[in-house]
Amino acid sequence: MSFKHLLAAGTALAAITGLGGAALAQDEPVTITIINHESPRIEEQLARIEAAMAEKGINIDINQIGLPNAGYPDALSLRLLSGEVPDIIYFQGGDAEFAAQGILEDLRPWIAQSTYLKDALWPHNEVRLENYPYLLYVFPARTKSPVIRKDWLEQTGLAAPTSLDEWTEFLRVLSDSDYDGNGTQDTYGIIAPDNTAELDAIFNQSFGISSTWLADGNGEWIHSRVSDGEREKLEYYRMLYADGILDREFITSNWEIKEDKFYTGRVAIVAGTAGSVVDTYRTKMQQVHPDSELALLEPPDGLEAVNIAKEERGFAIHAMSDNKEAAFAFLDFMASPEGLMIDSMGYEGEHYTRDGDTYEVLPEMGLWYPRYWTVNPEYWTPPVDLLSSVAQASLEQGARYFTPDNAFVWPGELAANVDAAEQYYRSSVYRFVSGEWSMDQWDAYVQGWYDNGGQAMTDYARTVLDD
Amino acid sequence: MSPDEKQIALSVSGNGNVPNASERAKARAFKFRMWWPYYLMLAPGIVYFLVFHYFPIYQAKLAFQDFRIFGDNVWVGLKYFEALLGSPAFYQVLLNTLIISTMKMVFFFPVPILLALLVNEVRGSSLRRFIQSAIYLPHFLSWVVVAGIFIAALSPSSGVFNEMRGWLGLAPHGFMTDSGAIRWVVVFSSIWQASGWDSLLYFAAIMAIDPQLYDAAEMDGANRWQKIIHVTLPGIAPTIATLFILNVGLFLNAGFDQVFNLANDAVRDQIDIIDTYVYRIGLQSGQFSLATAAGLFKGAIGMLMIVAAHTIAKRLTGKGVW
Repeated sequence: MSFKHLLAAGTALAAITGLGGAALAQDEPVTITIINHESPRIEEQLARIEAAMAEKGINIDINQIGLPNAGYPDALSLRLLSGEVPDIIYFQGGDAEFAAQGILEDLRPWIAQSTYLKDALWPHNEVRLENYPYLLYVFPARTKSPVIRKDWLEQTGLAAPTSLDEWTEFLRVLSDSDYDGNGTQDTYGIIAPDNTAELDAIFNQSFGISSTWLADGNGEWIHSRVSDGEREKLEYYRMLYADGILDREFITSNWEIKEDKFYTGRVAIVAGTAGSVVDTYRTKMQQVHPDSELALLEPPDGLEAVNIAKEERGFAIHAMSDNKEAAFAFLDFMASPEGLMIDSMGYEGEHYTRDGDTYEVLPEMGLWYPRYWTVNPEYWTPPVDLLSSVAQASLEQGARYFTPDNAFVWPGELAANVDAAEQYYRSSVYRFVSGEWSMDQWDAYVQGWYDNGGQAMTDYARTVLDD
Repeated sequence: MSPDEKQIALSVSGNGNVPNASERAKARAFKFRMWWPYYLMLAPGIVYFLVFHYFPIYQAKLAFQDFRIFGDNVWVGLKYFEALLGSPAFYQVLLNTLIISTMKMVFFFPVPILLALLVNEVRGSSLRRFIQSAIYLPHFLSWVVVAGIFIAALSPSSGVFNEMRGWLGLAPHGFMTDSGAIRWVVVFSSIWQASGWDSLLYFAAIMAIDPQLYDAAEMDGANRWQKIIHVTLPGIAPTIATLFILNVGLFLNAGFDQVFNLANDAVRDQIDIIDTYVYRIGLQSGQFSLATAAGLFKGAIGMLMIVAAHTIAKRLTGKGVW
């Protein structure tokens, strides 16, 4: 640990254990500024949080700067470039450059001394914080879960698929049938919006793609995108595409189109982020087909590996803030049972009712979502089930199949290479899957990937992974 | 005429003594009093250009520095230009920008002129107004909407364009995923969205042509086609030359919004332009210096092109903007 880190850790510990507590207990509230998504009723919500924190003797005034959801990362970058960096920043990408410049606080010493957060973390949070200690997002790993209408699953007459062969047969039966009853067999088995990423979540493990970097026959690290497994996987996708099982227009379908096709019966299976997104799919499907339920499907050989290099999104504290103690106190309070109740349950009488220790969820709860943490259930569970059973099962599926990936954070110097290789890979995938390129062109593709930044990536990766 | 004005008039006409410094100052003050409302009207434009066009030139120094959010940036010379030119993707991006810009210049630029000429030939005023309104309308749609319309219309399964191909016995074709067709989609959608509005300037130039020229041509027995060739086109030639030079200055602005909304993974390598590259590298990856270097590179090429186009236009037509 460098002197700089020791100094930072010492300052944080001193702030938490001694000076800080006294400062926050003063009559005059400490004002902290948060930059985050625009959110309905946020002022009212923050007032509740301030009041609840005051009851615990933490006197802070929270000022939120809301940015639009659409294009949030871009708007945030521009806002921070103005030089006005708030105490707490919600990042949704683009944070690495700020961390590299020492602007983000190392959260580990704060969490180690926290009252609640240290117990509220998910296992993947702990690993990610060790690798990249600047961003905190207490939320289940964002794995993708495949779901289908339960009545369609029953109509196939097949058991839910488990192996790759069963998946293929199942998808083929779905695309050869007319369960939406429109008179034609025009329902696709599966769709992945924009690119094959959602298919990869389900099928990567079946083709031996167990991590981003794999050891080749000589024991050298190679990127999975130029591996034999990738080639076999693309041949599989190619077959799905050619046989009309994979939506032919997946590449021009964004997530809105994907959802629309799912609810209107033009596609049978979609993958959604475990937990809240699966719950959203269920709610929307029931708005279109009131009697329908969703069934969770099991991937053939487990879900794709989860990136543990860093959180993909989350909250950071400005390292040069004068209010770090208050900022962290806020994040820690949101992991307390009081904070979680306020954040998760919404408003009594509007989203739920309470009679003693008995809670009942009202229909409006479907419109409520927590703005901060979804903590490890071994630490805290809400007094009622906030998620549907299928959404809850998707979370459990994500936890059951959790495998850590060996991807890491790229240095800024390689940004142009990473971008070039990514663009090359994405366009090549479509050309293989659609049949525009023959699989005989695989070697040329591999060479092209190395020429388009892949070689620089591989050279750097070998220095990191061999360490 | 006031005594001051008399003195200035004498000075200007050369009948008086050579004005001294005080007199010259008075003359300047007088001119300012005469013209201040115009200066006032000019002020917002000057402020706009200073803030959004000249001040950023100073900030372009970021291309030569390691960007620091706090503290002083570190001078690194040509490091980011070397990184940019060392990236294989950038050459493809530059090539795409040049190809799409050239296609737009060749196939888009004449369309507003043709539209203005055609609309001018419509005799009924109500019909002309209707046609003008119809061709202006797409200009008011954002590229998000226009791209949505084109993606839906070109869909191989449900798009109207492929249905029309079906009537002709042709098989459906995925134009949005065809790397050979996507640049034409970009050019055609530009024409659809903007040519009606751009024809306004040419239409205004046609309106300014002296009607006596048409009367004289008619007296000489010219038909409508000959009047277009010999009266209308020469009449709007200076407008065409000026707009051509201005368009060359914007040559490398191949259309960020348009490409951003029309692109997909299948064809991005064909239509990824400098602006979308700068957005991806700069804002999404946080490499602000690299993105500034790419933007500066684009600006330098644009400046060279406008000087070259101006020189050529001036030699060919004798007209230029400076």
